[in-house]
Amino acid sequence: MPGITLRGLAKRYGDFAAVDDLSLDVRAGELVALLGPSGCGKTTTLRLVAGFLTPEAGEIRVGDRLLSSPAAVVPPERRRMAMIFQSYALWPHMTVAQNVGYGLRFKGDVARAERARRVSAMLKVVRLDGLEARYPGELSGGQQQRVAVARALVVEPEVLLLDEPLSNLDANLREEMRFEIRRLHEAFGITTLYVTHDQAEAMVISDRIAVLERGRVAQVGTADMLFHAPRTRFVAEFIGKTNVVEGTAVSADTVERGGLRLRVAGAGFAPGRRVAVSIRPHLIRLQAAATAPAGAGAGNRAHGLVRRAAFLGDAVEYEVEVHGTDLVLRVAAPVSPRLAAGAAVALGIDPAACVPLADDGSDGLRFP
Amino acid sequence: MAPREGALRGLDRALPVWIGATLALLVLMGLPLGWLGWMSVSGESGYTLARYRTVFGDPALQKALWNTVVLSFWVGVTSVALGAPLAWLTARTDVPGRGLIRGLVLASFVTPPFLGAFAWVMLAGPNAGYLNRLWRAASGAQAPLVNIFTMPGLIFVVTIYTFPYVYIMVANTLALIASDVEEAGAILGAGRLSVALTITFPMVLPALVSGFILSVLQALALFGSPAILALPAGFHTITTQIWSLFQFPPKVEMAAAFSVPLLLATIVLLWLQKRVLGRRGYAAVGGKGGRRRVIPLGPWRYPALGACLVVMAGAIFLPYGILAKAAFSKAWAQPLTWDNLTLANFTFTFFQYSATRDAVVNTLELGLLTATVGAGLVALLAYIASRRLVFGYQVVAFLALVPVVIPGVVLAVALFIAYTRPPFVLYGTLWILFIAYLTKEMPVGYAQSDATFRGIPPDLEDAGRILGAGRLRVLSDITGPLARSGVIAAWCFIFIGVIRELSASIILFTPNTKVMSVVLFDLKEEGQFGAIAVLGLLMLALTFVTVTLVQAVLGRDVLGARD
Repeated sequence: MPGITLRGLAKRYGDFAAVDDLSLDVRAGELVALLGPSGCGKTTTLRLVAGFLTPEAGEIRVGDRLLSSPAAVVPPERRRMAMIFQSYALWPHMTVAQNVGYGLRFKGDVARAERARRVSAMLKVVRLDGLEARYPGELSGGQQQRVAVARALVVEPEVLLLDEPLSNLDANLREEMRFEIRRLHEAFGITTLYVTHDQAEAMVISDRIAVLERGRVAQVGTADMLFHAPRTRFVAEFIGKTNVVEGTAVSADTVERGGLRLRVAGAGFAPGRRVAVSIRPHLIRLQAAATAPAGAGAGNRAHGLVRRAAFLGDAVEYEVEVHGTDLVLRVAAPVSPRLAAGAAVALGIDPAACVPLADDGSDGLRFP
Repeated sequence: MAPREGALRGLDRALPVWIGATLALLVLMGLPLGWLGWMSVSGESGYTLARYRTVFGDPALQKALWNTVVLSFWVGVTSVALGAPLAWLTARTDVPGRGLIRGLVLASFVTPPFLGAFAWVMLAGPNAGYLNRLWRAASGAQAPLVNIFTMPGLIFVVTIYTFPYVYIMVANTLALIASDVEEAGAILGAGRLSVALTITFPMVLPALVSGFILSVLQALALFGSPAILALPAGFHTITTQIWSLFQFPPKVEMAAAFSVPLLLATIVLLWLQKRVLGRRGYAAVGGKGGRRRVIPLGPWRYPALGACLVVMAGAIFLPYGILAKAAFSKAWAQPLTWDNLTLANFTFTFFQYSATRDAVVNTLELGLLTATVGAGLVALLAYIASRRLVFGYQVVAFLALVPVVIPGVVLAVALFIAYTRPPFVLYGTLWILFIAYLTKEMPVGYAQSDATFRGIPPDLEDAGRILGAGRLRVLSDITGPLARSGVIAAWCFIFIGVIRELSASIILFTPNTKVMSVVLFDLKEEGQFGAIAVLGLLMLALTFVTVTLVQAVLGRDVLGARD
């Protein structure tokens, strides 16, 4: 089972750089999600890997096979890959069994009887046994999805590509299929690239996530890493909710904005520079000002006023105006004790909860 | 969402097929049009506009131009006057027999106009015309009631087979406007009349204008009806004038010079039509849903039906009736009695008279050949264009649609010039007719094929390729079966177009290569109305069988989907 190596890939459509100097390593047997908003180049990247597009620069290798370069592209049919499409792309004129068995026709070493056996075994795996003779039009959306999965897996590809395969399903089914796809990945262990714009989906399904921004990889890592140590504002805001506090570095580990001073663990700021830090709402401690112990604790402290409180069921989300600044922080706190709008509060923020963000040159860093 | 491009670099073994089809198209379109343009300006010593000067300076030719303008304008006006109300009645009201009316409009749409013209000669010729006989018998008058050999007569006959263009445009537009758009106006306080004037009418207006332009174009390019009705009346239109320039001694260069303005007029009108239709998002007006409210006509239901049937009497009942009568009677002008009944016309046409027999065989041969080659070629071309398989694929779509702007007579002039000289000397053979039909029917077939391939998502092909099938294999396993009904429909459209083709055939035929439409013309000279009727009915039968086949294959009626 080989891995995938993308090196310096570039693809333009007219003036628009869909993919721009993109590099990524997918280890053998790993499932990597390409995550990003629409237009970030994730689908183009997938189609480059599939061989439907020719890159203008860069290389694609699977194992040590060079598959794509500007000079030559191995056509899709000789890449030993399989793909699951957003539309499923089931052939309406073929039955379920014919759809699933199609790819096996091109495996010279698989005899006809063996083909039928593999098809029915695979249909069992995706729990579609008994539906062999149906046509795709006679299946529900979820069943069609499973046919698409079976069709891709039955050929035992070296690489599996998925292009937003769950976006056409309704919410409940989508959640179920996330775990189903993860289960199948663990069972088969195929090197997989998974395109999605849904961060929760990416977090559930993948071993690692590559966040794409404007045709480049902004950051690669496990869901945990991306959530707790986002490198840029774009990544911080794309994975989960966050507060981005912009200010001026007053020392290597301290940033100041108005009357608020924050110590930032592990930062190496150049004093005097404009910098930004990310603070997750649930990592901010919130107490009524009256009950807060004065001056205690090691972390950063601030005072503020609750501007709005929204009950979300398992938590309450507060918007807090921070005294001495123009800053409004979002804070996620337990449902009890409840604080009403207008309440005076004390905030506690550990230096470790403050993550310094690199200036990624995106429109993210908007200093007033 | 990512645009596709030819995954050709390296290893597409099908590339020669794509390039070959594209080159064939290039030659097919480029050769005749290039010659036409060149011939109209070439002189002994380089370029000359002398021929254009001669053409437009000649009073007889000026007269023909003017006649064409008059004919086209009035056909446009009367087509709108007939087509729009009919469309509104069938699309929006509770007039009885809506399906029947729609069916009759379809029949009128597919009836070869020159057959209608023949029939109306039999019905309303000043002396022998059946209606005029009845009128004389009933009133005792000497003068005929109507004379079809006049400009109004010509306008009438052309209109009854042209108004379906307006009908189609308007009916399809009305079908797209959901009543809620009108109700939205009503809820804001607009009365019925002001809703009609301020909402419905402006939304239909582009369809009306567009239908008007299409009708004008039809009249402009038409050869058969003017040849049958205007020539005996002693006047010419552009098309008959071009044709007469081909009569001995042929003045090909003059015909070429005369063809170019007709070509330009057509291009301008079509461009106008596109502009009218293209502005504002009318196509999007209905989206999917939106119920259409039916407007009750109350006591006017049956009078409205009556009016529709009167129109259809002119277009269908009377002409078809007189053709049937002529086919089955010994003397078509005599009353239909047992004595007068005969099948002799059929045996004469199909077995005894070699000219008609050969023409039927030639027509069927050409129809089958052109439809088969044509359907294959347009499928290939539409596939190439929709999947962007060759560099410059946009040119493929453009070229395949170019013949839309070429009137049949002009095309014939161009083909005559192109294929009477090397490298392809085809004049005198059936092949030049084959090329003419292939070229002329290309746009209809292409439009159908294009819609077919647009309806097949490229993902279905990509899914096959990534699983190991090469492009040609995908074409035969996946794209082919899915495109089958669309390709059959294209085949039928081409076939229908070929068996009725007259305006190009009339210039390109030679004594050995006559087709049915041409022989119909000869028979008229000989006064053989029985044989005309038999051939006409055969042509109609072939047409209706093919139309029925298309509708079965596509699962909808043909009127619904013409651009």
